[in-house]
Amino acid sequence: MSEGLNYTFLIDTFFIALSGVPITLLVTVVALLIALPLGFLLALTRINQVPVLNWFSRIYVSFVRGTPIIIQIFIVYASVPLILSLFFERYNININVYDINPIWYAFIVFSFSTTAILIEVFRSALSTVNKGQLEAAQSVGLSNLQAYLRIVIPQALVVALPNICTATVNLIKATSLGYAMSLQEITLKAKVAANVGYNYVEAYIDIFLVYIILCSLVEYGFKLYEKRLRRYKYVSA
Amino acid sequence: MLKINEIHKSFGKNEILKGVDLTIDKGDVVVILGPSGSGKTTLLRCINFLEKADSGMATFGELQVNLHDASKKDIHTIRQKTAFVFQNYNLFNNKNALENVTEGLVIGRKIHKTKATDIGKKALDKVGLSDKYNSYPSQLSGGQQQRVGIARAVALNPDIILFDEPTSALDPELVGEVLTVMKNIANEGTTMLVVTHEMSFAKDVANRVIFMDGGVVVEEGTPHDIFISPKEERTKKFLKRVLPEDYTFYI
Repeated sequence: MSEGLNYTFLIDTFFIALSGVPITLLVTVVALLIALPLGFLLALTRINQVPVLNWFSRIYVSFVRGTPIIIQIFIVYASVPLILSLFFERYNININVYDINPIWYAFIVFSFSTTAILIEVFRSALSTVNKGQLEAAQSVGLSNLQAYLRIVIPQALVVALPNICTATVNLIKATSLGYAMSLQEITLKAKVAANVGYNYVEAYIDIFLVYIILCSLVEYGFKLYEKRLRRYKYVSA
Repeated sequence: MLKINEIHKSFGKNEILKGVDLTIDKGDVVVILGPSGSGKTTLLRCINFLEKADSGMATFGELQVNLHDASKKDIHTIRQKTAFVFQNYNLFNNKNALENVTEGLVIGRKIHKTKATDIGKKALDKVGLSDKYNSYPSQLSGGQQQRVGIARAVALNPDIILFDEPTSALDPELVGEVLTVMKNIANEGTTMLVVTHEMSFAKDVANRVIFMDGGVVVEEGTPHDIFISPKEERTKKFLKRVLPEDYTFYI
């Protein structure tokens, strides 16, 4: 029995792992939806040296970057329920904190960590756009907001995109740590399936495959988008 | 038409403009000369609020504005009346030549896109780039980019165009094409305030030359006054340095 791989299990579990993709993607997308605008705004506070916020972002980045995500997960997963239960008790709200879907904690942790990474991505990307671009836009009568939306951001985005892609792929992979708070994503589902008959090798192969397929697709999507965005660069005359 | 009074500007402890006055009438082509660091560029940038002056007034027709604490609305109004041509062209890299010209019309001045495209094409034709509508800045030479920059300014039909050393970043053989375009629009009666090191342009095209040094206007007058019979010692010294061939005669 224990010789070779259990191919039936390998194939069945592949689909079980695949069924975790929606949760993985949901966490990824929500984290990005929060982190992209927030990271961009905080990057602006750093570039424009906005008092207080500038320092806040700097400290925030070094804290989040300087700690492993798994520790961030443990901290959020352990402390948020405590705080919430105190809060619920005080205001007599009848919700059991342990009934809260762990996906909410995943949203918090992964938004936090991705924001920190994107602050740095946007900061470096925005600094590659010459100040003259903004000045020229102002001089022809565009407001600051219009200048950013139409001139500065499109150019910064081209520079930022490869790094945003890396951050996204890293985020997808990092959600596998969600198993530590029993998030029903790819890794947890496959591992649980493997627990029954100790078919860990098969389960790990399946997890491996699902992530590599998912990440390759995302990378491919980013490449297409990047190609479209940078059509104004290096076009042959 | 445009009057600047007592404009002051410092960067840190370094006082760049020490109370400059300036009057420009409609149709004037005024050239500002002076050694680098004399505050020419800063003066131009303060007029267009790219730099915030420490103090000073600008009178623009009926509109009087404090250059230090102008409201957003006043800044917008003045920018509608002026256009700026930059030393480094500063074309929008993500837009093609035509879009560069129409951007300010469509977004800044709310002109309908079809009409703006029309105006934009005419402006590009005027600077000799009828075949480059769809070229991106990365596909154009420096001279062509600066001509798009001028078209972008002309298309806005401003009361005055401010030129900040428009040929200083160009290869010598490309300077001519840009100066020719500038001459043409000057001849059409466009009001221009030009900071430049091109003495030939100052001599041939300007109707008034201002010599600045150390943050003040040292001397101003017709090109003839300044180039042939300058009164101030500093002006003479500067001209001797930039026009050595005119003086070898006397040595």
